[in-house]
Amino acid sequence: MSDAATKTRTIRTDYLARVEGEGGMRVRMRGGKVVDVQLKIYEPPRFFEAFLRGRQFSEAPDITARICGICPVAYQMSSCLAMESLAGAEVSGQLRALRRLLYCGEWIESHTLHVFMLHAPDFLGVASAVELAKINPGLVETALRLKKIGNEVMRVVGGREVHPINVKVGGWYKTPTRAQLEALVPDLEWAKAASLEAVRVVAGLEFPRLEQDYEFVALDAAGEYPIDRGGRLVSTRGLDIPIAEFFDHVVEEHVEHSNALHAHLRERGSYLVGPLARFALHRGLLSPDALAAADEAGLEPVVRNPFKSIVVRAVELVHACDEALRLIAAYEEPPEPAVAIVPQPGWGHGASEAPRGVLYHRYRLGPGGEILDAKIVPPTSQNQRSIEEDLLAFVSAHAALPEEELRLRCEQAIRNYDPCISCATHFLTLEVERE
Amino acid sequence: MTTCVVGVGNELRGDDGVGLVVARALEGTLPKDVRVLECEGEPVSLLAAWEDCDRTIVVDATQSGAQPGTIRRIAAHDGPLPPELSRSSTHLLGVAEAVELARALGRLPGRAIVYGIEGAGFETGAEISEPVATAAALVAASIRRELESGR
Repeated sequence: MSDAATKTRTIRTDYLARVEGEGGMRVRMRGGKVVDVQLKIYEPPRFFEAFLRGRQFSEAPDITARICGICPVAYQMSSCLAMESLAGAEVSGQLRALRRLLYCGEWIESHTLHVFMLHAPDFLGVASAVELAKINPGLVETALRLKKIGNEVMRVVGGREVHPINVKVGGWYKTPTRAQLEALVPDLEWAKAASLEAVRVVAGLEFPRLEQDYEFVALDAAGEYPIDRGGRLVSTRGLDIPIAEFFDHVVEEHVEHSNALHAHLRERGSYLVGPLARFALHRGLLSPDALAAADEAGLEPVVRNPFKSIVVRAVELVHACDEALRLIAAYEEPPEPAVAIVPQPGWGHGASEAPRGVLYHRYRLGPGGEILDAKIVPPTSQNQRSIEEDLLAFVSAHAALPEEELRLRCEQAIRNYDPCISCATHFLTLEVERE
Repeated sequence: MTTCVVGVGNELRGDDGVGLVVARALEGTLPKDVRVLECEGEPVSLLAAWEDCDRTIVVDATQSGAQPGTIRRIAAHDGPLPPELSRSSTHLLGVAEAVELARALGRLPGRAIVYGIEGAGFETGAEISEPVATAAALVAASIRRELESGR
């Protein structure tokens, strides 16, 4: 092969970054055909797994909340659940309702950020939310207010907007009063109306064509749309296991091109977690208005076009507002802010539905409640293979696109998964190698 | 005049946490009408922090290839931040994007000052490096003077 025939061009694109990492995407093409797509993910939470060892079980929610600035509640909840499962304690009633409410705040905040500020610009052909603000300031103002309402829920219940400090194993340090929660109602009602409008807006976007045959995996929360907890892991192809058996079925492996671990289902392959999976498995458990919005948006019961995840996220935004309103309406101040936890040595498992998908934690505790081992599987590492498969299919079908256009579409395809910012994906560079 | 000082950063990523170091050095030492906040740099939170403020001072780490500890003071209300200070461009994340988003929406305080402190290392779990810690103390002093003189 002559030098002239081997042409590698590197296009750099800054994405999802505050601090530079080494993540990137590499597409190898030969004779106009895509032969390989590799996504490098920079940083799984391994530092935190090491950092947790030797700490007390009670420190896990505060430490793991630091993993992600966007979904701290998910980390707190999964770690609390794991510790509580070991102690044989269940946080129930209003204490649990508050957890779900806090988590709704996080869903509102995170989904708003992604739908409006990160993903919508891709569909509308603008470079960023800044550009979007210039052509459609109303849309961005709506997003800012929605996000602020999510923040407010987190502040009132969690004690702080970022990294809630009020969460502890067993419940809360302090529970809010009824009046404090009721004060959130007008804003949440506005948020619900804005979310319904958002579903209509994003349903009218133009979606690149891509249909993938995913195995969708989500938690099963026994009759509820899974958010803050779920005892079983289920899939559209019959997987149905208690979360304690997570690692009997999910295999994490190092892949050569990435620091991260890629997860797949034993003897089955890639799977997908997140809004599309929750919707495919639990659509019937959405609030009536969220479900009606999904139908009106023309979403099929199982959405296989990953680009339509933006619509499902907007539908979940409606659900999160409805759920928050329902929880507040039924709230009664609990007599005690927490249940007593006596840590037991052994293995504990916890999982919840982060906005971007199942977040699984496993801990081994020693006799004094000290953490001997911690294992965290974030949604983005579970989706990594599916992202690569999407990109392979997408780039194969659109190999003729000019490189810049292809790069933008690939970014859009990766954003379909709302990849974690600090927990997994850090900095994306796209390298297209044409041989 | 309502003023807020915002330290931006992540304390678990070495020098990225320098904005927080400055904010903590200033906390409790400024006039009562000056709010001091810490933020991870997610732009919507920055916009919320600026709401109803006439003046903001933001401190963030930079990664431009300059000498570690290099301090830059930029009047963001005059125009966009220089490109070497905006680390992410394609999609909104970071101080530069927050400034531009606020400007586009007419939400940028009339006076918006950004201090950038060049970091040496951004490894997870690392400590703040020495030149950056020294620069943080200088920036904190400079902000104190700036607020006293009403610059």
